[in-house]
Amino acid sequence: MTADRAPAVFCTIVPPHVLDKMSGSADAGVSGAARRTLEQDALQRTRRRLTTVIGATGVTGAAASDRPVRTIHDAKHQDALPGRKVRGEGDKAAEDASVNRAYDALGATFETYLKAYARHSIDDAGLPLVASVHYLQDYNNAFWNGQQMVFGDGDGRIFLDFTLPLDVIGHELTHGVTQYSANLDYFGQSGALNESVSDVFGSLIKQFTLGQSAEQADWLIGAGLLAPGVNGHALRSMKAPGTAYDDPDLGTDPQPGTMAGYVSTSRDNGGVHINSGIPNHAFYLLAAELGGNAWEQAGQIWYDTLTGGSLSPHAQFADFAAATAAAAKARYGEGDQYRAVLASWSQVGVTPAVPSPDSAGLPRQQPGQPQEA
Amino acid sequence: MRIEVARSGGFAAIERHAALDTAGRPDADRLVALAEAALTAGPARGPVVPDGFTYEITADGRTARCADPHLTAEQRELIRTVLGEGA
Ligand SMILES: [Zn+2]
Repeated sequence: MTADRAPAVFCTIVPPHVLDKMSGSADAGVSGAARRTLEQDALQRTRRRLTTVIGATGVTGAAASDRPVRTIHDAKHQDALPGRKVRGEGDKAAEDASVNRAYDALGATFETYLKAYARHSIDDAGLPLVASVHYLQDYNNAFWNGQQMVFGDGDGRIFLDFTLPLDVIGHELTHGVTQYSANLDYFGQSGALNESVSDVFGSLIKQFTLGQSAEQADWLIGAGLLAPGVNGHALRSMKAPGTAYDDPDLGTDPQPGTMAGYVSTSRDNGGVHINSGIPNHAFYLLAAELGGNAWEQAGQIWYDTLTGGSLSPHAQFADFAAATAAAAKARYGEGDQYRAVLASWSQVGVTPAVPSPDSAGLPRQQPGQPQEA
Repeated sequence: MRIEVARSGGFAAIERHAALDTAGRPDADRLVALAEAALTAGPARGPVVPDGFTYEITADGRTARCADPHLTAEQRELIRTVLGEGA
């Protein structure tokens, strides 16, 4: 368990590998980052109030637009990105269903971040949303390359088109949100947190769009992505990690739901898509306990954690757990929400880290609590 | 020449591993040339991308690591041929 608490760096145009280096430098202080976060919060509250009183079009000046700026490209099965532009913002629907699904899902994702969290796009400053579809041939993957989303068609044998599930598109776009906020290092536990945050908001975007409560939601990632004949419902289950698929070709869903099943591996950047099951399940348990719409209180606590400036890019599960507890307390006090956050981490076997004395915003530790999970 | 490719990572994190021997294959010369180019291309240039596939190509006791989307054309063609899956 690392004691590293490098200050969060708030910078919106520097790529992550550069930010990583910068986070080790002395000057980018927590106080500056925290102050900017407070200013941002105040701005968001003002914006919310203005939106309520005078409508979205009444906000002028430097404030980011309440409308997305989407561009969808066709990679035409080649390697070069972004490929040919096929649909811009406000253009009529294309012939190509993948193009239209990507366009609509980027809109739904933008809408969820705006309405649920008053966030204006990936960078909270109206960054245009760019996606490419039909990347390479029969490509069984989707990714965020630091600037845009990229979707393969799937091979039709195991995977269908990666633009099909809304939560997959929300997952990829959320990698952008993380890059512009906590910037969690994509390796080991911080990488698994990065993955989990993408699954959490990917699922919340689907729930918000469908109007589903925590109880109604399927809590699956990638439902509808597996080809007919593959034995599985999805790629991951936040409600029951390890149960999403069991198939001769795919193998068995390897995700643990608690620290007892934590997998140590050098593959997959240290198991980022495997151990993400643990924070995924903690979030599910919190949402189930609080009930109602998961994007409201549970999602707000996670959003505050991601964007609040207290997380190090190298945060481990215990650090993230402590930050969620602090976020719950800051927003809702020491009531049910705070207790539910602590209970859900406890159920997955994660003990919140003891904050260092100078880490602003983290809760004071109970005496005698162990430092390591 | 025996050529092995292992893939990990990706959105679905489904691992793939496959090997072929070029002996007796009609495309043997092409595959050997691709393997030589793939192994000498140097490490992936560019940052790790979330959900990107990572690959290990092994031939003649040498191993090269590369990752999407920073593959050379030779690496991509070789990976597609050996894994028999879209890349
Ligand atoms: Zn991801």
